[in-house]
Amino acid sequence: MSASSQKKLREIAILATLVVLGFIMLVPLMWTVLLSLKSNSDLLQSTANAFHGPYTGENYAAITKSSGVFRWLMNSVIVSGLQTIGVLVLASLAGYGFARLEFPYRDQIFLLVLFGLAIPEQAVIITRHQLFTGLHLHNSYPGLILPGLAAPFGVFLMTQYFKAIPKELDEAAILDNASRFKIFWKVLLPLTIPAQATLGIFTFLGSWNDYWWPLISATRADMFTLTVGLSASQINFAQTSGLGYLMTQAVFAAVPILIVYIIFQKYIVRAVAGAAIR
Amino acid sequence: MGTQSSRTGGRVSGIEISNVTKAYGATPVLDGVSLSIADNEFVAFLGPSGCGKTTLLRLIAGLEEVDGGEIHINGRRVDQLAPGARGVAMVFQNYALYPHMTVADNLAFGLKNVGIAKAEIDTRIAEAARILEIGEYLGRKPGELSGGQKQRVAIGRAIVKNPDLFLFDEPLSNLDAALRMRTRLELAQLRRRLKATMILVTHDQVEAMTLADRIVVMKDRKIQQVGTPMEIYIRPANVFVAGFVGSPPMNILKVDVDVSGAVVMARLAGGVFKTGVGSAGLPVSAHWRIGLRPETVKVGASGDGLAATVEFVERLGERTLVYTKLADGTPVTAEDAGTSRVKMGDPVGLKIDAGSAHLFDGEGVGYHAPESGE
Ligand SMILES: Nc1ncnc2c1ncn2[C@@H]1O[C@H](COP(=O)(O)OP(=O)(O)OP(=O)(O)O)[C@@H](O)[C@H]1O
Ligand SMILES: [Mg+2]
Repeated sequence: MSASSQKKLREIAILATLVVLGFIMLVPLMWTVLLSLKSNSDLLQSTANAFHGPYTGENYAAITKSSGVFRWLMNSVIVSGLQTIGVLVLASLAGYGFARLEFPYRDQIFLLVLFGLAIPEQAVIITRHQLFTGLHLHNSYPGLILPGLAAPFGVFLMTQYFKAIPKELDEAAILDNASRFKIFWKVLLPLTIPAQATLGIFTFLGSWNDYWWPLISATRADMFTLTVGLSASQINFAQTSGLGYLMTQAVFAAVPILIVYIIFQKYIVRAVAGAAIR
Repeated sequence: MGTQSSRTGGRVSGIEISNVTKAYGATPVLDGVSLSIADNEFVAFLGPSGCGKTTLLRLIAGLEEVDGGEIHINGRRVDQLAPGARGVAMVFQNYALYPHMTVADNLAFGLKNVGIAKAEIDTRIAEAARILEIGEYLGRKPGELSGGQKQRVAIGRAIVKNPDLFLFDEPLSNLDAALRMRTRLELAQLRRRLKATMILVTHDQVEAMTLADRIVVMKDRKIQQVGTPMEIYIRPANVFVAGFVGSPPMNILKVDVDVSGAVVMARLAGGVFKTGVGSAGLPVSAHWRIGLRPETVKVGASGDGLAATVEFVERLGERTLVYTKLADGTPVTAEDAGTSRVKMGDPVGLKIDAGSAHLFDGEGVGYHAPESGE
């Protein structure tokens, strides 16, 4: 067999494996969509009914009327959105500072930030809860948003990114009479857009999917985020009734993420592929 | 230093660097450097790697702060001023173009920052684009340009600022040989057109020799010599300059000197040679060296002149460089005609024209024949 046809065969094998893996990944999603299109009474007989008609949009009609899902969706958008913006702003400024400014104990402070990467949320959650109780921040947007703003990984990423930009650019801009802020804003920041996108996407997804802290902090249903709200809707233990309705909420909750994905597809692929591409 | 005050005595033009020192931490990099550069002069800083050329340039630009000494540009003391306020423009070795801006925006950035009117900016960009022939790239980003084109844009970014002083840090070193030669010519033409003071940092002596009005040779934190290219070549101040400038480098051999006559007689292993250096005023020194440019050492038949063996032959077409070794192992580079027949291992005789030879004392200080006409 020639080398080229051998290579072709290998490519086909890889492709086939990927198709199978991709299909396996898709099964739960398709299952969710199918269930959401069935009437609850149909599903009560057997979930296998999802494989055939009749399909119905009644669950979708129902959530527009009764569910708290819209409120939770809004909460999630607000929390994830503001958290993402906050992380980008703070990490960029901190990254610029660590990469470009000279100040006492800079390297030690940077190390301290990196230590933050090694501390699991579980280790601090009780103290944090007490702190937020004392500050009366539970059941509020600041209460949901603030903890996520401490993003050591973001600071680390942006620091490395700023460091990789040649200093001559700053110097050229200095000779071009640009102020420090202008250099940051007009010369350096635009060059970090790929990193901003990576960090923004990860922060948004992480925040969107965060369950634990909102579960603990938001105890009132009107302050639930989507993740907390959806799990709270699973009232009956074995999911025996209202399954279609539940799945509809899940599909609905996934739509914003899908939109984010479609918009930032290019950057997400790059970020996941190793982020090393400059 | 009252002579440089701009308030008294009208406008003082040119650059005045007096007694500038600089250290990075505990490492001294420049040690009491003083230099005057006239208006519209093109000066090259030449020296081996790490001698502080770039540092001196950056001190003038304001990208580093002086530890001591003063820098004046056109009578104005600038060493305490912000870089942007000094009236200098710099072309960086790696161009340092703003990658996300178009060429036009790259040129305009510095002008917008000081509030120059849009119409004026457009005029200046158009003018620079015409001079540098970059008009068709104005809408492109730096990533879409070749190295030579980026180089022009970087120069353009300096031109539009109408600076008092242009600073170039090894502007040609990132270009391939052919492009470097062309850009060197263009830089020379540009210089004639712009009529501005320019400083070029380079460790390429051909660049320095061909472009500069005067060369500043640096080594070991200090200026070794300042002079026109020919002065530096013909009257090197010391043994370092003599060996650094000129390609192939000057032959430097140990000699005994005889100062009994009007001119110094130099005694080498193969004979006594009459130099052009006057005996009067020569210090007493135990260790003398003689400097002979390869073009003053000709290859002859064996037995005729200094006996040597051919080690290596470099045929350059119009002439041949012959690398030889004397009986005691001292290497000597000699020249022969382009049609030379010498081969490796041949015994040859070296005929020395010592009239233009240089002498260096134990301290390395150079002594030369008086210039013709003197
Ligand atoms: N930021 C810095 N911190 C510490 N030392 C430095 C710094 N910049 C330069 N040096 C040192 O100062 C000396 C002079 O450096 P400089 O860059 O001026 O040399 P140069 O003559 O331009 O050399 P080259 O031809 O290699 O560019 C070198 O020994 C270098 O190691
Ligand atoms: Mg340098």
